Amino acid sequence: MTTQEAPPIARTAPHKRRLKAPGNRNFSKPVRFIMLAALVLFSGFPLYWMLNTALSQDSELYGQAQGWWPHWERLADFGDVIGSVPIFKWLTNSMVIAGGTTLLSLIFAVLAGYALSRFKFHGKGAAGFLLFATQMLPEALLVVPIYALFASLGLLNGMGGLILANVAFTMPVSVWIIKGAIDAIPYEIEEAAAVDGCPRVTILSLVLTPLILPSIAAAAVINFFDGWNEFLLAKTFIAERDLWPASVGLASFVGQYLTSLNSVMAAALLFTLPALIFFLLVQRRIVSGLTAGSVKG
Amino acid sequence: MSLRTSISPPAVAQNQIQDAPSRHHMWQRISPYIYIGPAVIYLIIFMIIPVVQGIQLSFTKTPLVRPDGGTGVGLENYSRLLSSPQFYNSLGATILYTAATVIFAVAIGAGSALLLNQAFKGRTIVRAIITFPWAVPTVATALIFSWIFNRSDGVLNEVVGVLGVGQQGWLVDPKFGMAAVVLTSVWKVMPLVMLVVLASLQSIPSELYEATRMDGAGALETFKAVTWPHIAPTVRVVTLLMTIWSIRRFEIIYLLTGGGPVDTTNTLVVNVYRQAFSNQELGRAAAIGALGLVLSLLVTVVYFMMERRNAAKEA
Repeated sequence: MTTQEAPPIARTAPHKRRLKAPGNRNFSKPVRFIMLAALVLFSGFPLYWMLNTALSQDSELYGQAQGWWPHWERLADFGDVIGSVPIFKWLTNSMVIAGGTTLLSLIFAVLAGYALSRFKFHGKGAAGFLLFATQMLPEALLVVPIYALFASLGLLNGMGGLILANVAFTMPVSVWIIKGAIDAIPYEIEEAAAVDGCPRVTILSLVLTPLILPSIAAAAVINFFDGWNEFLLAKTFIAERDLWPASVGLASFVGQYLTSLNSVMAAALLFTLPALIFFLLVQRRIVSGLTAGSVKG
Repeated sequence: MSLRTSISPPAVAQNQIQDAPSRHHMWQRISPYIYIGPAVIYLIIFMIIPVVQGIQLSFTKTPLVRPDGGTGVGLENYSRLLSSPQFYNSLGATILYTAATVIFAVAIGAGSALLLNQAFKGRTIVRAIITFPWAVPTVATALIFSWIFNRSDGVLNEVVGVLGVGQQGWLVDPKFGMAAVVLTSVWKVMPLVMLVVLASLQSIPSELYEATRMDGAGALETFKAVTWPHIAPTVRVVTLLMTIWSIRRFEIIYLLTGGGPVDTTNTLVVNVYRQAFSNQELGRAAAIGALGLVLSLLVTVVYFMMERRNAAKEA
């Protein structure tokens, strides 16, 4: 074995490979340190400041008196910190909207992804183009005609209508993720089931679906947080305060300081945390899913 | 017209079809449409019909209170737009916002990816911190930054105050409105660029680096010979996506500045929304929307033409 070959680390300890891989060394150590510190400050500070504001005393918020360190003791009575912001009501609404969006979107996506992956049929190209092109359509440009459509159908001011509209925006990406996942499953597995006389619906639901579960989970997370974060459609369609999702509810506090800001920030923190945790858990999968969907599409 | 249908590997499909009775055969033909049908019909109802209606709407004068009761006005909405300085201002704001956001997001994102592709202690935690903003909901982002940028109590003014600069109205001064909105957007979208480019960097076989190092290449030469050629296609795609997403970005701008100060951040999508729901002119809003759509399409077409030229050059 000569030294020109790949470093043995790669083979003996695959879990350490990424850390130990030589990679490119474009930066000297001090330069790298300064740049990294700047990046961490840039990316991390606003989030830190959200936490710090949520956990600050009312009196600190005015006249630049806010301390640099959070008052952790305020965590003990977080209920008071939230104050008069009806965040739990809004978070429940967000949950319903995001959950409904995810469920509906995934049903369409599994069926369509299966068709695009496993069949040849007339109009396949057109269907693929439709699924690709609709991803390009800006929400804000469609909101007017969708508003007009929903007004005539009586779908405004309800979570049902909002879910229907959300799905149109989240479904295409999911279809590509599911299609990609099914593409990666060897056909022989289904073949065996088909020979046994299994109907195709059964193959899809009992054989394929469990195999692509990780991708379905990733698509579900993307869909859920699209629904969770969605603001424009919700703001346009839902006028009643009690039906607002948290995005619209919290947005009503932007630049408006009648409600103490620490309460608003604490509520925003509750709204942010689930997204933060989930994205960290499935980050890698989401990146490959998103790029598979919109790049190779 | 025959509906020719088969499952991907044709051998199996033929066996099945031959053995199956003719009703089964029929079923074989229509089944893909049963699977793809719901999605396609759904998108036609909720995407295609609204687009068509939106274009129809743009030729009418329609008040918000009666969205289905418009009167046709021909090309008036378009002619008025194309002769109004406000529209060109809006187009300019869109282009400036998009260009600035994309340039900074791609430069910082790709730079971070290069940094994070090196081994150092604490890399996982640094990557997590840099990734966080991407997961933060847009509305929460707007809340945080509007507080940071706040004129009298915001921390940014506290920091620049230390440097001897007086209090600035970051979100209300026409000098800074656009910069504040771009900064917030870059903060939010840069991590995606970083993650995608990093994934691409990590797929470069380390043997390539070893080989160039053997040849005695320096850091810059290695970058030019190995790294850049490998990540360039990814960077191009992510630039396209960032561009399209920036043209259509609404929430951050709407929530931070509402299109102000003095319309400096009144991008096309914000403009659409204001025309529709503040001025209650659905027809004119739809016309702006249609022109915005043309802009997005133009970007996509230019991108694909550039890709084709690149492919031709390499061949």
